[in-house]
Amino acid sequence: MPRPGFVLDVDRSTPAILTWHGEGFRLERLPADRSRVIYAPEPIEALADPDDAIRHALAHPEGDSAPLAELLAPGMRLTIAFDDVSLPLPPMERPDNRQRVIEAVLDVAAAAGVDDVVLICALALHRRMTEVELRHAIGDRVYDAFAPHGLLLQHDAEDPDGLVDLGSTENGEEVEINKRAATSDLLVYVNINLVAMDGGHKSVATGLASYRSLRHHHNVATMRHSRSFMDQTRSELHSSNWRMGRHIAASGIKVFQIETTLNNDAFPRQMAFLQKREWEWKARDRATYIGVTKALGAAPPRLARQIFQGIKAPHRMTGVWAGEVEAVHARATESVYRQQIVDVEGQTDVAVFGLPHLCPYNVNSIMNPILVMCMGLGYLFNLYRGKPIVRPGGVAILSHPTPWEFHPVHHPSYIDFFEEVLTTTTDPVEIEKTFEERFATDEWYRHLYRTSHAYHGVHPFYMWYWGAHALEHLGGVIVVGGEPRSVRRLGFKPASTLTDALEMATDVVGTDPTITHLHCPPIMIADVH
Amino acid sequence: MSTKKPPIELPGATAPSRRLPITPESLRPSLARPVGSFPLFAPSWPGSVSKPPPHRHLGTDYDTAWARRYPARLARVVVTELITRPTLAALARPHVAGLDRIAHLDGPVVFAANHASHLDTPLLLSVLPERWRHHTVVAAGADYFFDTRLKAAAFAFTIAAIPIERQRVSRDSANRAASLLASGWSLLIYPEGGRSQDGWGQTHRAGAAWLAERTGRPVVPIHLEGTGKILPRGSSRLRPGTTHVSFGRPLAPEGDARALAERIESVVAALSDERTTDWWTATRRAATRTTPALTGPDAGAWRRTWALGGTGHGGATGPRWPG
Amino acid sequence: MVERSVPRFAAARMASGWRAGAGVRVGPLHLSDVEVPEPPGPGWHRVRPRLSGICGSDLATVDGRSSRWFEPVVSFPFTPGHEVVGDLDDGGRVVIEPVLACAARAIVPPCEACAAGEGRRCRHLTGGHLAPGLQTGYCADTGGGWSLAMVAHDSQLRAVPDAMSDASAVMVEPAACAVHGVLSAPAGDDFTAVVIGAGTLGLCAIAALARYRPDVTTTIAVAKHPEQQSLARQLGADVVAAPGELRRAVRRQTGSWILDSGQLTGGSDLVIDCVGSAASLADALAVTAPGGTIVMVGIPGQVSVDLTPMWQREIRLTGAYTYGSEPGAGGRHSFDLAFDLVEHARLDRLVSATYPLDRFTDAIEHAASAGRRGGVKVAFDLRGEKRR
Repeated sequence: MPRPGFVLDVDRSTPAILTWHGEGFRLERLPADRSRVIYAPEPIEALADPDDAIRHALAHPEGDSAPLAELLAPGMRLTIAFDDVSLPLPPMERPDNRQRVIEAVLDVAAAAGVDDVVLICALALHRRMTEVELRHAIGDRVYDAFAPHGLLLQHDAEDPDGLVDLGSTENGEEVEINKRAATSDLLVYVNINLVAMDGGHKSVATGLASYRSLRHHHNVATMRHSRSFMDQTRSELHSSNWRMGRHIAASGIKVFQIETTLNNDAFPRQMAFLQKREWEWKARDRATYIGVTKALGAAPPRLARQIFQGIKAPHRMTGVWAGEVEAVHARATESVYRQQIVDVEGQTDVAVFGLPHLCPYNVNSIMNPILVMCMGLGYLFNLYRGKPIVRPGGVAILSHPTPWEFHPVHHPSYIDFFEEVLTTTTDPVEIEKTFEERFATDEWYRHLYRTSHAYHGVHPFYMWYWGAHALEHLGGVIVVGGEPRSVRRLGFKPASTLTDALEMATDVVGTDPTITHLHCPPIMIADVH
Repeated sequence: MSTKKPPIELPGATAPSRRLPITPESLRPSLARPVGSFPLFAPSWPGSVSKPPPHRHLGTDYDTAWARRYPARLARVVVTELITRPTLAALARPHVAGLDRIAHLDGPVVFAANHASHLDTPLLLSVLPERWRHHTVVAAGADYFFDTRLKAAAFAFTIAAIPIERQRVSRDSANRAASLLASGWSLLIYPEGGRSQDGWGQTHRAGAAWLAERTGRPVVPIHLEGTGKILPRGSSRLRPGTTHVSFGRPLAPEGDARALAERIESVVAALSDERTTDWWTATRRAATRTTPALTGPDAGAWRRTWALGGTGHGGATGPRWPG
Repeated sequence: MVERSVPRFAAARMASGWRAGAGVRVGPLHLSDVEVPEPPGPGWHRVRPRLSGICGSDLATVDGRSSRWFEPVVSFPFTPGHEVVGDLDDGGRVVIEPVLACAARAIVPPCEACAAGEGRRCRHLTGGHLAPGLQTGYCADTGGGWSLAMVAHDSQLRAVPDAMSDASAVMVEPAACAVHGVLSAPAGDDFTAVVIGAGTLGLCAIAALARYRPDVTTTIAVAKHPEQQSLARQLGADVVAAPGELRRAVRRQTGSWILDSGQLTGGSDLVIDCVGSAASLADALAVTAPGGTIVMVGIPGQVSVDLTPMWQREIRLTGAYTYGSEPGAGGRHSFDLAFDLVEHARLDRLVSATYPLDRFTDAIEHAASAGRRGGVKVAFDLRGEKRR
């Protein structure tokens, strides 16, 4: 029976706590009697036969949707959209949920005699996926059947001929989405809901939208009013997407949503210590920890990165629902919460976030300083429901090496953002006002986004907006073990050790602050009362 | 001559009624064990007592339990990992597809594959995922593989073969296979009942399906391609080549062995179709029941071979004349 | 005083390979008592230097790194220093325009260039009654600014307005070079200019662009050190890039594409290279738009660089040496423009340290690492010397 999440009160006998630090981790001692550690719930039970569960879900849809088989008929246009490389994290061992679901959908489509089928990777403004990544996500069988005939597409938010304008929502938000998807008789969207933010109307309204449409919810004001992204009832990001989603439905586009959830079994057996509570480490865990840390210490950073990027998570599917978007999403979110919610009593003065090697935007890539900011303040900070883990005016301590390093192919506009924008200002509002449009319309970024594997020119701005709520909420941000130059460029303070960082934090929050360490990954959501 | 020498007993001299039956068995003890006194040695069998017919322990009666005990398993792991796998990797260059379909599966299963060559078994054993590789027994024709003690022992050891009666219905051998499945061993079986005669497949028999129904374990259909070219039936020469092994989605028994057998056959056919076209085409053809049959056209021998395509073996070398 | 000594030049060159400015300890430069040079003829005056700047070319000489091209146009031993503000015997303050052309050499008639007022292009740098020397500070007969007294010809004297500080005045000569550099490229419309290097010349060039090139609407400066970067901004650079960031910065500003080899599809119309290294020239060639101009203001020396882009994109690669009348500014002389610029842009703030002569080692070493140490122009302050 998996144990639920747990909040540890640190006392003098508490061992040092594992803290992620990019491509590595450290054991950090936390001050006794005023520190807490939040542990994720253990992986919940997975579906015994996921394929069977998918077939069942397709045949017994949620909400007012008919079973998939009844929605399919010979001669119709069917489009299957699926989540891109940013999900799940780390990438899961084969077969991926998307492959299982898409194969099951295609099985039904084949039985129904549907010939006109196109698959679209719903990548919004993310980079296009490589063949290897696509094969991993949707499987070799599907890839080999569709890609050679040009029936496997990647959404292009800058294709003037590939988008269709659906008008505006009641709040004046323009809705412009992928043309093939919009002109299909049925649009099936295949999700992996890694966190509570994923899925729902956000799938189509964001994943298949254009920049013109996305800017209505990917902006500083919306992000600041999403408290947090993990709680749809209090997220302006989601409200906007919901308005757009309903508008899309009202425009006559029929969406058959499929959402799958995963347990949080994020690391292979050999690395089991990463998701164990420190006092339960066996001799084997300690030996692995020592071995791994020593090996990583000796390995050149490139090699370490390769090793970490090679990690495939033994995630297992915990649920699958299909049918009407909102009904499906309610079930899936409930399942995500069941796996991830941890009850936490009260806020804290200082939060410690160990940043792992991976965020949604550097799969098979480099975690550059902007992504460090986004991962720390955009994602980990927002892993709450209710109130933020850290009190208003408190301090966030991030642990990451923050190297001054960028992936030249994946993140070209990030480099410019770092060199030009951040040397001018770090204020999200100012950045949005002064620089966004130029980056968003830069021909070169547009070209790289459309033809290479680059994130869209505006993407680093979104990364910065992602952390806007945290920047507004916090009294200071300290990065432990980060390269001082890049940390300063981000507008944060560098510290060489956690002890130093805690000492520096007292300047902001006063002496003897309370500290909370979020022991993530595995992913959890702190339900702060 | 008053002292009468005992009459020389010549064959045929004894009255027929008093003659002992001379059978090979009656002669064997004296031949096999020349001297040696009981009880240090085994007693000789009294000639007057008729010996029960020997228990031959061959064919379906061959007891393979020894081959599943730890010493034999350990030795087999060594052979499989150090000899079979490297050899097959070099000889057959297997391309494996569809392992993701059985990724979530655990525990004993029935592997049902099409059969073209003696190479099929070592090839499959060498590409099976590790959780099954050393825990799978192979159903082998009792009449072919278990007809002599040496062959029986060799196959029982190297590939963990168990004898299966394929000429007639034999509940015995099937029961044994079922109990092995129940006790945690997976089973590799060729539902066609033997190697292909001419390159085309043969109609499936119900054995694999029956075992699955009986034990409730899923069947994993497997399609093999290419082994027939490397070691064809009736040849002993190896021609290194490339092979393709495709694993199908596991089929759960649903209470009807005959229906399950048909499903296995159609999935194997669809896997073959998928190999030559692509998954979506194969899936659509399977859905409309237009998958090309593995058994080939119902026509004369040459047309069947013709339809297989291919170039034949070719490259015949003429006889070498002396001088 | 710099002597002709092959071993000393060689030693300086080796030492400077280890650290810039190290040549001062082993090289040809030393401090000594020499006779005040006699005025070589009529029209010559004694000048007692007040401030005398240390220029990049001086450092190259001290470090034994200057081009052998200069060998026949200098005469040993010479006293360095050509950025000079000093006192005339009659009490007037002057800045020296150091070029030693036909007028100073009393060559009559003057060569074509001198006749046209283009003294920098004089054909007789080795002729006349003076020892060879392209400028004051490289000529054995005139003395140089790094001393208590020197001589200068009428044609070289520029009166300093009373209101102008010595620090401003010592910046006039380098500012004039920069003014000449930015005005020697053809004018255009809505130009993007790049200034590579943020030492004295680079910063002056940024200021000169802002003041005298209204056609340049965007100036991108390359500066390495934080103080240089902030000065570049204050003097008028719209964008300041670190050395490795130049190509991306130009790409952003000009909306061009960057190709795999690092060259831009478009680029900047005007590039002022105030560094003159192979790397800076390669950068300049990569970011210059087809048909654009690269002006070498820094002394390049011997560099190895691929000039294919110059050919393929019809890039004008031109040098800018010293000063003259500027057609681009209505024919006004660079020095006049420089006086104006120094006051207007408050270039005196670039003088970040002064040293007495006997601390010349420190001064040279400071000048060689000025950027890193947060400085720009280092000068000798001779106003307090006892024997002046």
